[in-house]
Amino acid sequence: MARLPVSPEKLIEQFGPHRNYPPQEGFVGRDEPDEIVNTHCCFCGMQCGIKLLVKKNHVVGFEPWMEFPFNEGRLCPKGVQRYMQNNHPDRLLQPIQRQEGVGFQNTSWDEAMEKTVSEIKRIQASYGNDAFSILSGVSLSNEKSYLMGKFARVAVKTANLDYNGRLCMVSAGAGNKKAFGLDRISNNFQDLERAEVIMISGANVSETFPTLTHWIWRARDYGAKLIVVDPRVIPLARTADLHLAIRPGTDSALYGAMLKYLADHDMLDHDFIENYTTGFEQTLEAVKDYTLEWAEEVTGIEKQKIELASQWWGKAATSFLLHARGIEHHSKGVDNVVGCINLVLATGRIGKPYCGYGTITGQGNGQGGREHGHKCDQLPGNRDITNPEHRKYIADVWGIDEKDMPGKGLTAYELIEAIHRGEVKGLLSICFNPLVSLPNNNYVREALEKLEFYVCIDFFMNETSRHADIILPGSLHEEEEGTVTTAEGRVVRIKRAVDPPGQARTDTSIILELAKRLGAEDKFTYNSSEDIFNELRVASKGGTADYFGITYKKIEDNMGVFWPCPTLDHPGTPRLWEDKKFATADGKAHFNAAAYRPPGEVTDEEYPVVMTTGRVVSQYLSGTQTRRIGKLVDLYPEPKLEIHPELAAKYGIGQDEMVRVSTRRGSDEFPANIVETIRKDTVFLPYHWPGKKSANQFTPGTLDPVSKIPEFKVCACKLEPLGIKSPPSTDSQAFASV
Amino acid sequence: MPETNYQTNQEFFVDMQRCIGCKACEMACAECETNGHDSMIHVNYVDRAVTIQTTVQVCMHCDDPVCANVCPADAISKDEFGVVHTANTARCIGCSNCVMACPFGVPKKNEAYDLMMKCNMCYDRTSAGKKPMCATVCPTQALFYGTREEIARMRPNSSPVNNFIFGNEKVSTKVNIMMPKGTTVLRVD
Amino acid sequence: MIASLNKKALIIATLVSALVIAMVFYGSRELQNFDPALIGYLFGTVFAFFGVVYRYSVWLQRPPTWMYFKRTWQFFFKGKVFAHLLFFGKEFVQNIGFQKFIYPRGRTRWIGHFLMAIGCTLAFAITFPLTFGWIHFTMNAETSLNPESIRMYEAHFFGFKIFEFKLGSFIAFLTFHALNWCSWLVIIGVLIFMRRRLTQAGLIATQTFEGDLLPLILLLAISITGLGLSYDYEFMKGMAYDFMAVTHAVTVIMFLIWIPFGKFFHIIQRPAQIGAHIYKREGMKRGMATCPHTGKEFATQLHIDDLKIVTKELGFDFRLEDGSSHLDLSPEGKRSRLAMAHLKARQENGGKLFG
Repeated sequence: MARLPVSPEKLIEQFGPHRNYPPQEGFVGRDEPDEIVNTHCCFCGMQCGIKLLVKKNHVVGFEPWMEFPFNEGRLCPKGVQRYMQNNHPDRLLQPIQRQEGVGFQNTSWDEAMEKTVSEIKRIQASYGNDAFSILSGVSLSNEKSYLMGKFARVAVKTANLDYNGRLCMVSAGAGNKKAFGLDRISNNFQDLERAEVIMISGANVSETFPTLTHWIWRARDYGAKLIVVDPRVIPLARTADLHLAIRPGTDSALYGAMLKYLADHDMLDHDFIENYTTGFEQTLEAVKDYTLEWAEEVTGIEKQKIELASQWWGKAATSFLLHARGIEHHSKGVDNVVGCINLVLATGRIGKPYCGYGTITGQGNGQGGREHGHKCDQLPGNRDITNPEHRKYIADVWGIDEKDMPGKGLTAYELIEAIHRGEVKGLLSICFNPLVSLPNNNYVREALEKLEFYVCIDFFMNETSRHADIILPGSLHEEEEGTVTTAEGRVVRIKRAVDPPGQARTDTSIILELAKRLGAEDKFTYNSSEDIFNELRVASKGGTADYFGITYKKIEDNMGVFWPCPTLDHPGTPRLWEDKKFATADGKAHFNAAAYRPPGEVTDEEYPVVMTTGRVVSQYLSGTQTRRIGKLVDLYPEPKLEIHPELAAKYGIGQDEMVRVSTRRGSDEFPANIVETIRKDTVFLPYHWPGKKSANQFTPGTLDPVSKIPEFKVCACKLEPLGIKSPPSTDSQAFASV
Repeated sequence: MPETNYQTNQEFFVDMQRCIGCKACEMACAECETNGHDSMIHVNYVDRAVTIQTTVQVCMHCDDPVCANVCPADAISKDEFGVVHTANTARCIGCSNCVMACPFGVPKKNEAYDLMMKCNMCYDRTSAGKKPMCATVCPTQALFYGTREEIARMRPNSSPVNNFIFGNEKVSTKVNIMMPKGTTVLRVD
Repeated sequence: MIASLNKKALIIATLVSALVIAMVFYGSRELQNFDPALIGYLFGTVFAFFGVVYRYSVWLQRPPTWMYFKRTWQFFFKGKVFAHLLFFGKEFVQNIGFQKFIYPRGRTRWIGHFLMAIGCTLAFAITFPLTFGWIHFTMNAETSLNPESIRMYEAHFFGFKIFEFKLGSFIAFLTFHALNWCSWLVIIGVLIFMRRRLTQAGLIATQTFEGDLLPLILLLAISITGLGLSYDYEFMKGMAYDFMAVTHAVTVIMFLIWIPFGKFFHIIQRPAQIGAHIYKREGMKRGMATCPHTGKEFATQLHIDDLKIVTKELGFDFRLEDGSSHLDLSPEGKRSRLAMAHLKARQENGGKLFG
């Protein structure tokens, strides 16, 4: 029974989101903290080093961690305010259970656990093991990610486990595995510093990874040329040497045309292509008709600019290509990714100093979390759950019979569809807020309402968990020991700064207790996070993401270790492929043909405008944390529809006037922000907000056939001006919209 | 002032073209102990309708501060290091003369407090030998605090400029703005 | 020394001091009611008056201050005097009486300040007239002569009888101990502020001993020795009374003499805040200035126009070539124009924005 027990307004009143501000005269004791804990920011994949100030089991402030090599004290606004998630009035302090007509009532851990376990058993007995599903998230540490994978397969015995990385890096992961046989950025970010040309595609670095900007600006201080591909003039693009304002959904056409240009003008590294790659001919064949004129027609970028970009890229001695969700959130996300990789391989600029390529992983542990097995098709060490050898190895590590290990399950969005169809009846979720982060969220809501039992582990009640039957209060980033792997592939240590408040428990202890009650106690005998990590090391040994040589001590001594690190005396691998031996079966890098095809939904007479979605600097993902931090909310209080003055004039929309935005999936009203910094045919909405303010009520559930990532970045919409001025943003209450 | 460990060889260097408008500095400024939870730094769009350009402005700490001159209450003072301090809370009468007269648009009037507040270069940190909070966290180093040698090494094609012309007025400051190499003055009109 | 003194201010201060002395003379009925034991306090007070008026006069002569002073009285007497009086009264109670503008900066900060302020002003209100001989108490002659009646005390102000009360009554208790109550208020307030000043990093970094800590110490010393005087009398049979009396007198006289020079001058300056409010209110009636960059109203046109005069008097000239002024821009406009000039300069130099 997963309908809301009472109105959402009533739940918000009790459980938030409420905005947390520091006390007017500051936190008591900040000047003389009991402890200063060197740890990391809980937000994006940069995982900047930060010191937390602790007084009486409360985080009361921060101090920059100047020595941590990636950020050297630098932080973004989210990082500065991250400590405000602690001491939060919305914090769940006790297990609660749904009570129809009342809301949620406190219950004991014992009862909550008992109910959860009996419901799991009931559902699995009636509908089969896979009818109970698990959705996990990569805000979890490596240890917890590993534990969730093992918990699902060994304790719950379900195949249906997936994670929110499915909305994040899977296209990049799939593309990288196809090309290199391994899924990690090729170089650490310091290698950006002396790259001659930097191409950044579909990555709003300045808002989503602000601290990465430093390394790009350093390169520019040394004279690097910056090419930015984005439908909007993002802050990074304003000063870029070349801004390619691409039409959303046409990325692979651009890379295809650039590849053809490189080939036509012989700007290729023939030696590299010949000796270290395969598939070049077929790949080139696929783009043989992609002239500059054709590309201009498709992408909307002037051909002179495409030509210039190709020339710069072709002639550079060193280069770095970075991309992110902007090219990955597409029904052809994998094609876009391999399109980028093809450009890198064609010029042979990889595996050398200042020559790099990679995706900028979005979530805090987006890298580590996608390696250790809470993905439906994966086992620890980035092993394949369908590969018999891999299954055997992990089954042995876990001490189970390989035959008892479930197979490949459904991906996140497919899982929601299966719930909607009534095939999956139960759900356990942790660190995932699909009602805000999945596309077509009205459909997601319908699915949630069909669940027979839903249990959520989280520290705050988010929009999705309002639908839960039981909520188990888990732990914040700073409340448990562990490791995460940054976007650079650097494994770093997360330190426990404080203990979970009230009756809240660490996520690990909750999972272990559930495993015990499900009868798998003997498989889950850990005394500490380090114990779990040590098992993970063994489980990842021999896999592509090999952590075996990494220990807690080694990480602390070196402020991080880059995987692969196969042996204890191995120093880690900040730069991949220096030996030009790739992790593919044949040891070569693979070109992959990527012919252009249009996005899943194109504009037509009824829905004539292209809509794209993205982020703002002050919010993180679905906002469960950042929509509760007052100062971050105030920086960008509500989503606004960015629209070009010409398009606005066409529809008679004035600045700050309300516009009704509609797609085939939803319709709502947003204030217009008329700016020249967006393509004339495209509108933009940031997605961090729920309910009526949600951008994902509009986005389609079209999936990439390989990675199963949904197409967040392009759909067709129509606009109707309402002719009324929007109320001030500060009054919008969008952070708690219903 | 009490005993300090103020590093006189360290200076402030600003380059607003590096600014990405992320407002990390604004958040960090409010973590500085001298101004409570109010932020003193300014980040604003230059003209959002046509450009995403943002600018970032700390107090420039003028040699002859206009703000202190126009203060009717003698509330603003400059110390031995050239740091122009925020309004003396006992004296400030909240008239906003400094707010409107500062050629850089720096002082802020807090209406609820009836008090002007401005950047004092994180005096609690700089007087203890640390860098200001904003320059420490700035992810683009549009705000840089360090020695002249460091900035010269890192940005060899730029020169620090601390002379500004506003109409007929020439203003010299303690804080530098990074300009193309060889430039000595920035003309604003 | 003499040459560096401000002549105008000297004259005004001398005149005011003479006036005070005259008032003392007549207010105490030609020194009939003057208590010679308070002569030290009297000198201290008169000097404080001299100093305060001198400094106030010097202060007023500064162009920005004079502009506000002039405008305030212009507005005050032009138009509706009664409305202004009402506004002034309201503001006085809120801002001077209750210091409501401190409250948003923190509750304990306000409580501490309010206790000190109310303690000090009450004490001034009692001690100045006492010192000047304007207040004195007498026994009601009739009741004192008649052993049957209840003894009544009479309070006089400027030689006129104001009220009378029974000896030993609650009112008598309150009246005779009034200064003790003031002391307790001040002590609590001082302790709250001392704690802040000794523990908060931001304050520690910016405060000075003579500017911020000494005033608190002085207030504490006055209050404690003052309390000592009465409790010594009541509970210790007057032991070491002379010592107490001298210490108290010394701290009080130091305090008085220091008013014009140190932190306590802000008590005298504070009402100017109301002037600034009147200035803003009147300015808004006359029209707002619009920033040529942002297109938004940002200040009163009066303020901007006056600032142009004031800055000119101070030797600053922000006039631009086109005849407008840099001061026409709002703070946001000024920042944006600076950034635009910077971008232009960077672009003109081969378009290099980095390095």
